[in-house]
Amino acid sequence: MMGLLLTLFSPIIGGFIYGVERVVKARMQSRQGPPVLQPFYDFVKLMQKRPMMVHSFHASMGIMYFISTWFAMAVLMMGNDLLIAIFFHVISVLALTIGAFSVRSSYSIMGAMRELMHVVSYEPVVILLAVSLYLVTGSFDIAKILTSDITPIFSLPLVFISFLGVMPMLLHKSPFDIAEAHQEIVGGPDIEYSGPFYEAVYTARWIEYVYVYFIVFLFGGSNYFLGTFLVVFSFIFINAVDNSTARLDYKKMLKFAWFILIPLSMLNIFFVVVGAN
Amino acid sequence: MNDLRAKSPWITHYNTGGCNGCDIEILAALGPKFDIERFGMLNRGNPKQSDILLVTGPVTLRCRDVLRRVWLEMPEPKVVVAMGSCTHGGGVFRHLYHTENGIDGIVPVDVWIPGCTPRIEAIIDGLIEGVEIWKNKTKEKEYMVGHSEKLLEKIGVLND
Repeated sequence: MMGLLLTLFSPIIGGFIYGVERVVKARMQSRQGPPVLQPFYDFVKLMQKRPMMVHSFHASMGIMYFISTWFAMAVLMMGNDLLIAIFFHVISVLALTIGAFSVRSSYSIMGAMRELMHVVSYEPVVILLAVSLYLVTGSFDIAKILTSDITPIFSLPLVFISFLGVMPMLLHKSPFDIAEAHQEIVGGPDIEYSGPFYEAVYTARWIEYVYVYFIVFLFGGSNYFLGTFLVVFSFIFINAVDNSTARLDYKKMLKFAWFILIPLSMLNIFFVVVGAN
Repeated sequence: MNDLRAKSPWITHYNTGGCNGCDIEILAALGPKFDIERFGMLNRGNPKQSDILLVTGPVTLRCRDVLRRVWLEMPEPKVVVAMGSCTHGGGVFRHLYHTENGIDGIVPVDVWIPGCTPRIEAIIDGLIEGVEIWKNKTKEKEYMVGHSEKLLEKIGVLND
């Protein structure tokens, strides 16, 4: 019941996270910034625009992105399998890229290619995270991870650090925001969406925030206080990195993910397995 | 609902061949001192997702059809804010061989911001006035000045 409620309210929670993030970003640049409820004002505004679409397949792929992200969120919140949630998240990103490939705008196609590079970069690390959580707690089920006696962060510190490195790619934050580079390819895959269809993509991004921070919360195990602390710490860390770094290109992102973060996770898994034997 | 909507106007800025003075003032309005994100305004740079078209510069002949296209790609409700004396009637470029003498005959304008260049306070004032007009507009389709099938075909938006 609690899981169902959290799933239903996850866009609202994500909207609040995004609103707080915009205020934090503004304060870091010594601006006053928008009100905290700004994402919801944007939501109301986008609903009242005249619906314009490039073609129906493109628009339906935008809505598909929203639905399957929400579905991944539901799998997480209901306490089901972590791997299934990860695969649904990949399906949602693929829906976005297929939609972006289906229009003739060159920025959209370029953004879709870069989005695929994001997937190639972050997905192995996220899968290794699921594997290492399984090794430590003995289950892929979220419900069992959240009630297990072991606190995963103490046995998986390097996996947590590599997930911190992956979070900017998942959330499109500054060192690795190459897919929606607002100055060069104006928004990337979501450039051709407008009005209510853009609103679906915009809300899916909020749900992605909840999805990513919920995975961070899993590192606390049954210690919910520690999990909340980790979420707040990672939020501040990601925003500090977002506002103090410039955008890299996709090769550097791929090299960082494959030659630093994956070995780091593998090293941690190696030590866990050796320690268990 | 319309009051909530008025809190999130997104801007597309298009320079139709001006001297860049106005554009620098717009960038200053986005910065820390005159932060226009207080009003929820973002410079999106994407006409499909924005509500206010902020035009600077005299409309040169090369830019004219692009300006029409940008205006057509914006979904209603939308507002056009013309900024600077070039946009009003050509300014120092008036009656030159390559300009249209202002935006007036190209797209319908809602707010005029005078000055060369306008002060940042004037820009914010004009944008807020544009938001007041935008608040009362509806989803109903608008048509540009001199709208015709022939013109749409020339711009290349008839089949889009």
